[in-house]
Amino acid sequence: MGSYETLKVERHGPVGWLIFDRPDQLNAMNSTMRDELADAWLELDGDPEVRAIVHTGEGRAFQTGVDVAELASDGLGMERYRQSVEAWDLHFTSWHQEVWKPVITAVNGICAGGAFHWVADADIVIASSDAQFFDPHVSVGQVTSIEMITLLRKMPVEAVMRMALVGIHERMPVERAYELGMLSQIVDPPEKLRETAQELGETIAKNSPAAMAASKRALWGALELGLTDACRAGAQELTSMWGHPDQEEGPRAFAEKRLADWTVS
Amino acid sequence: MTSDYESLRVGRDGHVGWLVFDRPDAGNAMDATMLAELERAWSELDADPEVRVIVNTGEGAAFQTGLDVVQLARDRDALREQSRRTRDAELELSAWQCGVRKPVVAAVNGVCAGGGLHFVADADIVIAASDATFLDPHVSIGQVTAYEAIALARKSPMEAVVRMALTGSHERVTAERAYRLGIVSEVVEPDRLRDAAAEVAGKIARNSPAAMEASKRALWGALELGLTDACRAGAQDLVSVWGHPDQTEGPLAFTERREPQWEEI
Repeated sequence: MGSYETLKVERHGPVGWLIFDRPDQLNAMNSTMRDELADAWLELDGDPEVRAIVHTGEGRAFQTGVDVAELASDGLGMERYRQSVEAWDLHFTSWHQEVWKPVITAVNGICAGGAFHWVADADIVIASSDAQFFDPHVSVGQVTSIEMITLLRKMPVEAVMRMALVGIHERMPVERAYELGMLSQIVDPPEKLRETAQELGETIAKNSPAAMAASKRALWGALELGLTDACRAGAQELTSMWGHPDQEEGPRAFAEKRLADWTVS
Repeated sequence: MTSDYESLRVGRDGHVGWLVFDRPDAGNAMDATMLAELERAWSELDADPEVRVIVNTGEGAAFQTGLDVVQLARDRDALREQSRRTRDAELELSAWQCGVRKPVVAAVNGVCAGGGLHFVADADIVIAASDATFLDPHVSIGQVTAYEAIALARKSPMEAVVRMALTGSHERVTAERAYRLGIVSEVVEPDRLRDAAAEVAGKIARNSPAAMEASKRALWGALELGLTDACRAGAQDLVSVWGHPDQTEGPLAFTERREPQWEEI
């Protein structure tokens, strides 16, 4: 296991955990965290014991975007950030890193601005009942773009536009985020968030890893294409599993009322 | 309010521009005059440097009920021109069709029918009076529904939009249902609608006009492309504002706890 300064990376049974660990900076992403995220996603994705990944934060915030204090004080950090955006060479989310294991984001508090990268790029999102969502970019003279672009492909657009244009002057309550389908579960009391995320991770871990990876590729790939092309590409993912041992083992385990023994490549 | 419009009321209150449909006796339907005036009004408000956000609403019981086919049938030239624009996808009715760069809030004050849905689908933010209703009568009078429903289906759960398109004049979507679907973000008592619109517009007017313009371009542009291409294009919109004075003024004003002094666009 790699060692990290700004993250905690853990395993609990079949569930890998990636935890933002800069609570005093509300988990803002500095240059070190950007590098460590790239490594941590690949480490968990490469570990055959890990079947699902939970992503959350330490402290009262889930995440609050780029560490602006560092950007302002560290010319090198700013320059690297600028280059990575200009070149579209980002590596800090599971989507950027092409992680095909299921990723559950568990929003543990404030989720602001750049934090939406990890809400938008997750497969499943749950949140504690005290979570809050807002996008301050335009209120501090910044453009909001990539994270909101992905988010609006996945939920009603008007709500995303409103968050983007109202900035710091409103917060979206967790109940509204749930109603709109931005997330699928509110955990109350908030202290039960990690326990709930672990349970969900274990539930998902019961499914065929190969089938989940192909399904995930098909569904995310669909966001790249028109409907007919997306279905054609999805058909390729579907048939790619034909002949895989899980396709026999799944129905057999179901008939024998036992847990399936999946083949992990 | 400037007075050189017959079918609209167009004016400005502080940083908020107002574009109000003003044919209440005709359900605010678009006649030849309104078709011409809409284009002029959007461009006048978009060009006015004092205007940072535009509210679009209607006088009387209806918000907007689409083309005034009775009047247009008597004005052959206008009808021919409108038919040509429809055929060539060159409609210039809504803010989006007219290329408006500034945030647009639609405040739906009553029935919104057929072509009226352009102004809901093409707004950034939509709020509604509690007695507002939405319907698309096109197919009930032998007409095809396309543009409005296409844009709306990109932005909202699709089943609801297709049901509206296919049930025609025989069903209405209530404001409450539109809220649940994420087509609108706020429902208020009818006599509070304009205040509520002014309130959300006031919040938006406090944000950086340049950052909002680039964000709006990125987010609407995302509806044109596959996800990765949209994010790439969005990255360009993001960096387009780097070096703009608002980018330093925003954080500075925030740390000094004062209202930022934005550049006008």
